[in-house]
Parts: sequence; C-alpha cells; structure tokens
Amino acid sequence: MEMLLIILVLLALMAIGVWLYNRLIRKRNAFRNAFAQIDVQLKRRHDLIPNLVESVKGYMSHERETLTEVIEARNSAEQVRQQASGTPGDPATMAELGRAEGTLGGVLSRLFALSESYPELRASENFRQLQEELTSTENRVSYARQAYNDAVMKYNNAVQTVPSNAVASMFNFGVVAMLEFEDREQLQQAPRVSFS
Amino acid sequence: MTARAVFDFSEHQARARRQTAVLVLLFLLITLAISLLTGVVAGFLFGGAAEHVGHQTAAVPGGLEGMVEQIDWNLALTVAVLVAGIILATAAIRALMLGGNGATVARAMGGTEVTRDTRNPAKRRLYNVVEEVAIAATLPMPRVFVIKHEKGINAFAAGLRPGTAAIGITHGALASLTRDELQGVVAHEFAHINNGDMRLNLRLMAMIFGLVALSVAGRMVMRSVFFTGRGRRDQRAVLVAMAVGLTLVVLGALGVFAGRLLQAAISRQREHLADATAVQFTRQPGPLANALKKIGALQRDEQLQNPHGEEIRHMLFAEAVARRSPGLLATHPPLIDRIRALDPAFNPKTDPVWRQPQREMIRESRRGLRKQSEGSSGLDIADA
Repeated sequence: MEMLLIILVLLALMAIGVWLYNRLIRKRNAFRNAFAQIDVQLKRRHDLIPNLVESVKGYMSHERETLTEVIEARNSAEQVRQQASGTPGDPATMAELGRAEGTLGGVLSRLFALSESYPELRASENFRQLQEELTSTENRVSYARQAYNDAVMKYNNAVQTVPSNAVASMFNFGVVAMLEFEDREQLQQAPRVSFS
Repeated sequence: MTARAVFDFSEHQARARRQTAVLVLLFLLITLAISLLTGVVAGFLFGGAAEHVGHQTAAVPGGLEGMVEQIDWNLALTVAVLVAGIILATAAIRALMLGGNGATVARAMGGTEVTRDTRNPAKRRLYNVVEEVAIAATLPMPRVFVIKHEKGINAFAAGLRPGTAAIGITHGALASLTRDELQGVVAHEFAHINNGDMRLNLRLMAMIFGLVALSVAGRMVMRSVFFTGRGRRDQRAVLVAMAVGLTLVVLGALGVFAGRLLQAAISRQREHLADATAVQFTRQPGPLANALKKIGALQRDEQLQNPHGEEIRHMLFAEAVARRSPGLLATHPPLIDRIRALDPAFNPKTDPVWRQPQREMIRESRRGLRKQSEGSSGLDIADA
C-alpha cells in the first residue's frame, strides 16, 4: 500500500517535471523564432543600404566621408548579424548587435538629414523609393524586436520562477537577453527627419 | 512616451470583451424567449381549442390560473423547439452563404488589389504599412485592396479567418493620411481580424436573418389559412391558426428589432476594442486619434458613395452613413468618444487636425511620397 502511494507520488512528480520541461522548450522555441524574424528584417535593412549609397553617390559627392561611414557601419552590423543569427539570446552577442545596429541607425539618420540640402536627390524617384523601403524596414525591425522582447520576457519568467526554475537549472536553460538598440531615440527619429 | 502611459489598452480590451459577452448572451436569450413565448401561445390556443371541441358545454375557468391550466404543455414544448430550430437552422444556412473569403467581399465593394510589385508610391507605402502591422500583430499577411473613387477616409476588414482576410482602404484615406496615421487605421483593421469581429458580426447577422425568417413563416401560415380556411365550417380552428401566424409575425418583428439594436451595440463595443488593440500593435495612440480627427474634419462632405453602404457599415473603420445623432442603431461609437479614449486632452473647439481642410491633409500626406511642388493638386496620387 505504502509502496503504491510512493510510486504514485513519484509518477505525479515526473509528469509535472515533463510538463514543465516541455513548457520551457516551447518558450525557448518561441523566442528563437521571434529572433529569426528580426534576423530577416535586419538582413533586408543591410541589403538596402548598398543600393542607397549607390543611388546617393552621384548627388552627394561632398559627403564622401559620411557615405564611407554608412558603408562601414553597415558592414560591421552585417558581420554581427551573421554571428548573432547562430546564437539568439546570448547576452554578449545581443549587446554587440544592439550597439552595431544603433550606430548604423545613427549614421543613416545623419545621411538623411544631410540629404535635405540636395533637392535634386530628394526629387529622384529612386531615392524616394529607397527611403520608403528603409522607413518600412525600420518599423518592421522595431515590431519584430517588440515581439522578440515579449517572447524573451515570457521565457525568462519561466526560467526564473518557482517551480520551473528547478527544471531549468537541471537542464541548463539559461536566462537570455533582450535586444535593445543603443541610440534608440535617434533611430526612432530617423524616418521623421527624412519626412520634413 | 507619456501618451503610452495614459492609454491602458489592456484595461480597455478587458472591458470591451466583458460587455460583448453580455450582449451576445442577451441575443441568445431573445431567441430563447421568442421560442418559448410562441410555444406557450400555440399550446394555449390549440390546447384550449381542442378542449372546446371535446366538451362544448364545459365552462371555461376564468383568470390567469385557468389560462395556465388550458395550456397543452407538450404542444408548447414541441412548438418552442420547432421555432428555435427554424431560427437557428436559417441562421446557420445564412452564415454558410455569407462566409466567403475576404478578397471576394473586397472585390464586391469595388476594390482593386494592391500587390507587392506595385509601382505607385502611395500604394507601395500602403502595402509596406500592412506588412509592418502584420509583423506587429503576428498575423499572416492579408490581401490588400484600394476602393477607388472614394474621397472619404475609411477602411474595412473582411474574411472570416486570418488566413483568408482582406483589408480595404479608400482612395481618400490613402491620399489624406500620413504614413503613421495610415498605420493606425491599418492596425485598427488588423485588430478586427485579430479579435474575430467579422465572424461575430456574421453570426449576429445570421441570427437576425433567422428571426426575419420566423416572421415570414408566420405570414405564410396566415396566408395559407386565409385561402384554405374560407369554405370550412370550423371557424374556431381557422381563428386559432390565424392567431398563431400573427404571433409569429409580431414576435419575429420584435425579435428583429431587438436584434438590430443588439447588433449595433455589440458593434460599437467591438470598435472600442479594435481601437485599443490597434494601440497594442503600434504602441502609439496619437496617429490613430489623428486619423479619426481627420474623418471628423471631412465628415461634412464625406459619405460613402457605395450602394452597399447600408449593408456593410458595421465593417467600416468609421460610420459611413451619416447620422444626425449617435442613435441606438449606430454601428460605431461617436467619433468624439473614440478620439477622447485615445487622446484625453482632445478639444474639438481648438484641435487643429479636427478643423483641417482636406487640401492640407493631402499636401501633408504627399510630403512623404514626392516633392511638394511637383504634380497637380487633388486626389490623383493613387491613380498613377
């Protein structure tokens, strides 16, 4: 009788453990999938920038420095992106990605601010198209980031709260990092600046 | 940033959901009440009639108690189940008939589809905005339509499931709203898709149709009795059948009226909910409030020209059929209330957007698309 009771309790504990483990796996998959969405949008952003520089070059010959800066910031951001797409949620990589994207956003908004003084450039259809695509991509990145950060918060809550924290430490589920862009204020204003 | 703190979308959502639940329950109760009432009336009339045929001389017991005694409860129950069956069955058939996909509905309203490879800058911007909000809402990308020759600012969502949904925007909205405002309007329509409002509305419309069918059935009973019962001697049975028909007609009509009131009330609730959900997606109440203010500014000359205006008005972003007062049959809450929910400091007397002329809106909208001095004025930008 007592044996039976002990077996039952053990079975129940195991069932709870399995359920908690599966819940953690589901939340981990959710934030990884959300990160994949950011990755897609960042790639789109980085692919647009060479086109932008190419179409701007002819008009903004005096701003060679800024253009080189844009290309450099884009290249290093692309490098970090490729690195980060393998390790979503890793705090060091996320911080680096945030920094790289923040720098890129800052330089880009500078470029758009400078474009104000080139009316011919602003009238070009190609430039307007690229500007719209970049604005849209900024929005997509920020919405994808919103979804990723929400997913990370849910996952972290599961990793840190009782009782799933026991299962998490048993199977090495670590706390992961949200993605914050440095220079965020400036980045958010980038499309606004380009409108006026 | 401060506006975000002021507008608590989750609280608004919870309240709107609660109130909708109550209203849907009321709708089901109306159907139940009508079925039972018809059953009782039939049971009373036929039960009483049968008794009179059997015992011609028996005195009829007076008062309410006597009336209750006369009711044939078996018959009452049968009739009630039958009536409820008629209402629900016609409702189900109607729901199946109306349940097409969103693109079909959008085309029926005169929409032309916008695709990814459009060359028109305004349409390209619209397509981008829809893709952005789809990411924010984590919903599949719907088909996108523009309603040409429509100067008013309006929008709709159609389709019963997120997978088959379509979003339509009037030409006027495309031309008069800035990018952020357009995003607010699109987010509102995404909210309808997300909250299952098209499905809910379809069910309510189908229920009303079921009630309409009930009064039609009543009329048919009356007519057939009128024509076949003339030559017969049994005047009593004819009268009873007539009374049953009349009951069906009256109760059906009452039900339809109550149903319309409820449908409108539910629709108003869902609009508030959609505004709140839209803010959840975009996290900025300001542009959505501005879009609503622009509608208010245009309302004098804005009227949806579409002949289907009356049928589809519950699907629209804002009330299309002009109404003098926010009556009980309005499908949208008053504009000012919606704006105040998003922007508590709103004052119609001093707000600049609320009194903006359309010409200025178009100029502002185009600033993001092409150089200001270029091109002719007017609404032509989306037709290029």
